[in-house]
Amino acid sequence: MADRIDSYADLIVRVGANVQPGQTVFVNALPEHVELVRALTRSAYRAGAAYVDVRFTDPHVRRAMIEHGPEEALTHTPDWMLERVAASEDAAVIAIAGEAEPELLADLDQSLVGRATMRAAMQKMMELQNANATNWSIAAFPNEGWAQQVFGEPDVERLWEAIGATVRLDEPDPIAAWEEHSSRLRARSAALDALQLDALHFQGPGTDLTIGLLPESRWRGGGTETRNGVAFIPNLPTEEVFTTPDWRRTEGTVRSTRPLALGGTIVRDLELTFAGGEAVDVKASSGDDAVRGQMEIDEYAKRLGEVALVDGESRVGKTGVTFLNTLFDENATCHIAFGASIMHATPDLVALDPDEARARGANVSNVHTDFMVGGPEVSVDGITQDGTRIPILREDVWQL
Amino acid sequence: MAAVDDRLEKYAELTIRVGANVEDGQTVFINSSVEHAPLARALTRAAYAAGAKYVDVLYRDQHVRKAMIELGPDEALTYTPDWLKTRMELLPKATIWTTGDPEPELLADLDGERVGRAQMKALSEIARQQMIDRSVNWSGVAYPNEGWAQQVFGEPDVERLWDAVAFCTRLDEPDPIAAWREHMARLEGRAQRLTELRFDALHYRGPGTDFTVGLNPNARWMSALFRRADGREYVPNMPTEEIFTTPDCRRAEGTITSSLPLALHGDIVEDMTLTVKDGKIVDVQAKRGAEVVRGQLESDERAAYFGELALVDGTSRVGQTGITFFDTLYDENATCHIAYGFGIPEVFEDGDGGEGMNMSTVHTDFMVGRPELEIDGLTKDGEAVPILRNETWQLPED
Repeated sequence: MADRIDSYADLIVRVGANVQPGQTVFVNALPEHVELVRALTRSAYRAGAAYVDVRFTDPHVRRAMIEHGPEEALTHTPDWMLERVAASEDAAVIAIAGEAEPELLADLDQSLVGRATMRAAMQKMMELQNANATNWSIAAFPNEGWAQQVFGEPDVERLWEAIGATVRLDEPDPIAAWEEHSSRLRARSAALDALQLDALHFQGPGTDLTIGLLPESRWRGGGTETRNGVAFIPNLPTEEVFTTPDWRRTEGTVRSTRPLALGGTIVRDLELTFAGGEAVDVKASSGDDAVRGQMEIDEYAKRLGEVALVDGESRVGKTGVTFLNTLFDENATCHIAFGASIMHATPDLVALDPDEARARGANVSNVHTDFMVGGPEVSVDGITQDGTRIPILREDVWQL
Repeated sequence: MAAVDDRLEKYAELTIRVGANVEDGQTVFINSSVEHAPLARALTRAAYAAGAKYVDVLYRDQHVRKAMIELGPDEALTYTPDWLKTRMELLPKATIWTTGDPEPELLADLDGERVGRAQMKALSEIARQQMIDRSVNWSGVAYPNEGWAQQVFGEPDVERLWDAVAFCTRLDEPDPIAAWREHMARLEGRAQRLTELRFDALHYRGPGTDFTVGLNPNARWMSALFRRADGREYVPNMPTEEIFTTPDCRRAEGTITSSLPLALHGDIVEDMTLTVKDGKIVDVQAKRGAEVVRGQLESDERAAYFGELALVDGTSRVGQTGITFFDTLYDENATCHIAYGFGIPEVFEDGDGGEGMNMSTVHTDFMVGRPELEIDGLTKDGEAVPILRNETWQLPED
């Protein structure tokens, strides 16, 4: 057991965040992740970290604030919080996912839940990420509550095995396996870039969606680099190649193919209708309020910021498990996100201020919520400038 | 959600309403070990119920600290992130901190010198200034847990520890808040009488102990019914059974021996004897843990001088449990204790104790009381007035 958690921590520290000697390492996790946090701390110091700065956020504390706190508390961001986020410039950041009580906030007023975010801190973090100013990574820690949600029983061991497979911990040399995997995704991105697509078209049950791309859109996958040249992999696992769409050019309807865990509630059977780039209609069999709450956070939250392609080779997809966690589920299949663009997918726009970036078609928002739209029944075509359709995915098989 | 633990919610309410006495519209800081999360959560609920504007919970983890001491670079030991200073500097605020070490011996196998050095002194400085300014209403409270119960009872009997904690904090009373008011009034009476007697020094006599310590003429005796500079009352320790003062740190002589083990920086200090000359601890002997104490005494110029004298008699609820809790919050209320390091500014009317006030950044209490310990007050003309004999209070009470 100790071995597994230590190799996992090493993978996150050395391949995910790629902690450099002399760097400060910020670790953000839930109290329930403490075991992994400890292993990460040890691993980071072994990798030469100058200091490991751990902060636990507690959803129960957030719940108490939403339930019993005054109105102003919901959006309050303590000064120290902004200072801590700002300190992650040129530092390494590791965040741990895996809700211990995924439905903890489900019985609360979802418009309050949606508003209860430290917007200023999130904005600062996104700025740093977009400027490639930190080497960061998100990984998950299996726990009982999450296992219960996924399997209907608190089988943490089964969740460990599933996660272990998705992050290639089952390989004899996980670090080498990641290098190989990462270069495959980079090659795929390069092939898509060569096509210079103008749009993507998703077609399937409940889905007929055209997403316009930008001339500046570049495909990304398998990790990236900081401005100082430190290679890192922002998500463990990752199976996607993704790009930034034009926030003004999404038309049609899309039906989500997997449930989505959002702010302590589960969104099921989400259906969005887009016109002129904007989500004009939101339907879901549960959790639609949480989606609307998010879309109301700012003006641009209801417009797309990311489109990502994943094929059936995905290790996440192959587990057959719906993890009810975006980190995994977005790597099981194709997905799109409403809210902010990932700016490094439009490197020419990174230096622009938010208004200028928006004017060029990149989305700037304090929200970024991925939801899954792919699967064997959904086909994806690329559409070139002259209207030629190029099949990209058929029955989950990569066509390029 | 798990069923609400009624006792825990009552405990949190007592801490918020009597301990920190949180004010409507205040920001409340909760500084908690990550293992104390259930208490931190209950405190958060109680604080919002009391009208808190915002509750800011910060969890710490001893394993993270251990990794730093064991594997981190030298500079990491004394490093304080700027954001922690910013957080600490925020005023006005109420602060609750929690104790109850889940793994009391976690750091015991590390280099004691490194453990002693691993302190965020910059934070202690800010906290010390806030104590001098009396700007924060704060309270410390313990959270029973398996590791702590294991240490106390030799088995992880959390329920038994909870019973003891509930008894000591008067949660077993039908109206704990009223019981606390009555209890604090009694301790206040005792402190006032002792202040009126204006002793020049105290003399401690017992096994391994013959110790005289000078009192500060400007210092009162106090109970732990503290007042913020603007007069708002709060109780900084739950439980509390002591009355205490800040001595003249320049005047102490003799030897003094601890009567209970002391948990310090992840180690246990047992059977400690301190030799004192001209106010300063010049020698530390102990059956175990002397190194950690020596390390701490070197923290700054005044760390090896005294900062607090506290008297507790046999009526203490903590003492009555007969339990050694291995936690200062409890054990210091079982019996008489002394602290080296920082003095307590509250005992001076204007917070200024002059030259004799110890301004160190450390403050470590250790227990000296036991049935054999006799304590006298010495008047200016050398007369000895008995204060404690056989753990029984010798001065008249109302």
